[in-house]
Amino acid sequence: MLDTLSQVETPEGIFLRLRSAGVMPRAVAWAVDFGLRLVVVWVMSILLAVLGETGMGLYLITLFVVFWAYPVLFEVLRDGQTIGKKAMGLRVVNANGTPVTWIASIVRNLMRTVDMLPLLYGFGFVAGLIDPRGRRLGDLVAGTLVVHVGNPHQHVDAPEVPVFHPPVPLNAAERAAIIAFAERAPQLTVERQQELAGILAPLTGGQGASGVQRLYGMANGFLGRR
Amino acid sequence: MRQERFQRQHEPEWTALDQWLRLRGSVRRRDRARDHDALIGDEDFPALYRRVCQHMALAERRGYSSLLIDRLQDLVHRGHLVLYRPPAPRLGRIVYFFTADFPRLVRAQWRAMGVAALLFFVPLMLMIGLLQWRPELAHSIFSYQQLSEVEAMYDPAREGARLGRESGSDLQMFGFYILNNVSIGFRTFASGLLFGIGSIIVLIMNGVMIGGIAGHLTAIGYGEPFWRFVVGHSAPELLAIVISGGAGLQLGMALIAPGRRTRGRALVEAGVIGARLVLGVFAMLVFAAFVEAFWSSIGWMPNVVKFTVGGMLWLLILMWLWRGGRGRTDAA
Repeated sequence: MLDTLSQVETPEGIFLRLRSAGVMPRAVAWAVDFGLRLVVVWVMSILLAVLGETGMGLYLITLFVVFWAYPVLFEVLRDGQTIGKKAMGLRVVNANGTPVTWIASIVRNLMRTVDMLPLLYGFGFVAGLIDPRGRRLGDLVAGTLVVHVGNPHQHVDAPEVPVFHPPVPLNAAERAAIIAFAERAPQLTVERQQELAGILAPLTGGQGASGVQRLYGMANGFLGRR
Repeated sequence: MRQERFQRQHEPEWTALDQWLRLRGSVRRRDRARDHDALIGDEDFPALYRRVCQHMALAERRGYSSLLIDRLQDLVHRGHLVLYRPPAPRLGRIVYFFTADFPRLVRAQWRAMGVAALLFFVPLMLMIGLLQWRPELAHSIFSYQQLSEVEAMYDPAREGARLGRESGSDLQMFGFYILNNVSIGFRTFASGLLFGIGSIIVLIMNGVMIGGIAGHLTAIGYGEPFWRFVVGHSAPELLAIVISGGAGLQLGMALIAPGRRTRGRALVEAGVIGARLVLGVFAMLVFAAFVEAFWSSIGWMPNVVKFTVGGMLWLLILMWLWRGGRGRTDAA
C-alpha cells in the first residue's frame, strides 16, 4: 500500500483503519507542547520565586513533573493526546488500535532519552523516516503508534441523477469505485471529471459530460436510489 | 440490500451511538452529561457498539459508499477508544505491585541485575581502595575545583552546618535530588536501548565517581562526616541505580539476542519489564531523596543512630527485594 494506512483487526472482527502520522506533524505537536511547557515553567518560576528556598524546591519538582510526567499523564488520561497532539489532530494508540496504556506510555516517553540523541531528536527523526509507519524508537519499544484523528476524505453526497444501468454486472469492488467517484467528483474540475470518466468510456458508452452523468447514474443505482 | 435502505433501517442506532459517545464518552468525568432525553443507558453501549461494528463489516463487504463507511469507521473508532480505555490504577493494585510484583520482577531478571551490580560496585570498591593506596590519583579523575567543592561540603571543621551541602533548605535539596537523581535513574534504563552500552557506561561512570569521592574524602580524613551523611540514603539510591541499570541491560540484550522472537517483539516485551522496573526505581529514588534531604543532612545526630538506621535500611531493602512476593498467590 502506498499510503500510511494500516488496518488492525479488533475483537469484534472488524478492521480499524489507522493512519499513522509522519515526522512533520509530530514535530510540530512536540514544538507546541514544548512551548507550553516553557510557559508553565516560566510562570511557576515567577510565582515560586517569592517563596525563596522552599519555592526553589517546589520549582525543581515542577520541572521534573513537566519534563517526565506531563506526556504520560496526558496520553493516558486524555485519550492519547497531549495538548500539542490534540492541536495537530494526533493521537497515541497501541499498535492494535486500543487506547495507549500506562506501561506503554511510560516506555515511549522514557525512550525519548534515546530518541533525542545525538541532538534535536536525531535518532527519532531517522527512525521515523525509515519506519513505514513513522514510529520513533520509543514507539517501537512501547509498541505504540501515533495516528491522525478524524477523517481525511472530503467526500460529499453523490449528485442525484436518474439511474443508469451498467451493460454488464459489476462486482462489489467495482461498484464501490464508481460510488467513490460519484462522491468525489463534484469537488474536481469539470475537465478532470471528464478525463476520469473517459477511462470508463467502454462501460458507459458516453464521452465527456454524458460519461460523467452516466457514472453518476450508475452510482445512484448502486446506492439504491430511485 | 441496497445502501439507501440499509441506511434508513439503521440510522436510529447510529445516531444513538453517536449521541452517547458525544455526551457520555468523554474522558473527563465532569464533561459527561448525566441526564439527557433519548440517551441510551451506559449498560447498553457495548451491545450497540458491537452492532454498529457488524454494520460496518456489512457495509464494507457489500461495497457501500466510502462516505458511509467513513462515517461508520469514525463511530466504531470512537466507540473502540471508550470500550478499551485503560482503567484507572486501583490502590490495592499499586500496593500489590510494590510489595510483590516489583521484587519478583527484580529476582526474575537476576542475571541482568547481577551484571549491573558488578558493573557498579566493582569500580566503586576499586576506587575507594585505590585512593587509600595512591591518594594523588584523585586529581586525575576530578578537577581541582570539583575536589575543593566536595571537600568544603564535608570539612569536619565546619561548625553547626548541615551535612552534605553548601547551603539550601531541606525542601530545596529534596527538589534537586528528585529532578537530578530520578532523571539519572530513568536515563540509565533508557540508554540501555543502545545495545546496553548506555547503561554500562552510566553504571561504570557512577561507580567510579561515587567511589572516587568516597575514597578521596576518606583518604584525606574527611571520612566521618561523609559516611555519616551518605549511610542513610545509600541503600535505596545505589540499589535503585543498579536496578535501573539492570533494566537497561535486559533491554539491550533483547535487541542483541532476542532468542526465538522477532527483535520487535523482544523489544516490546523487554520494554514492559523495563517500565515496571523503572516504576519501582522511581519509588526507591523518591524515598532516597526524602531521606537524603530530611534525614541524612541532620548534623547533630550521634553516629550510632546514623549508622544503625543506614544499616537497617540496607537490610530492609535487601530483604524486601529477596523475599517480597514469595509464597503469595496472584490475587490482584
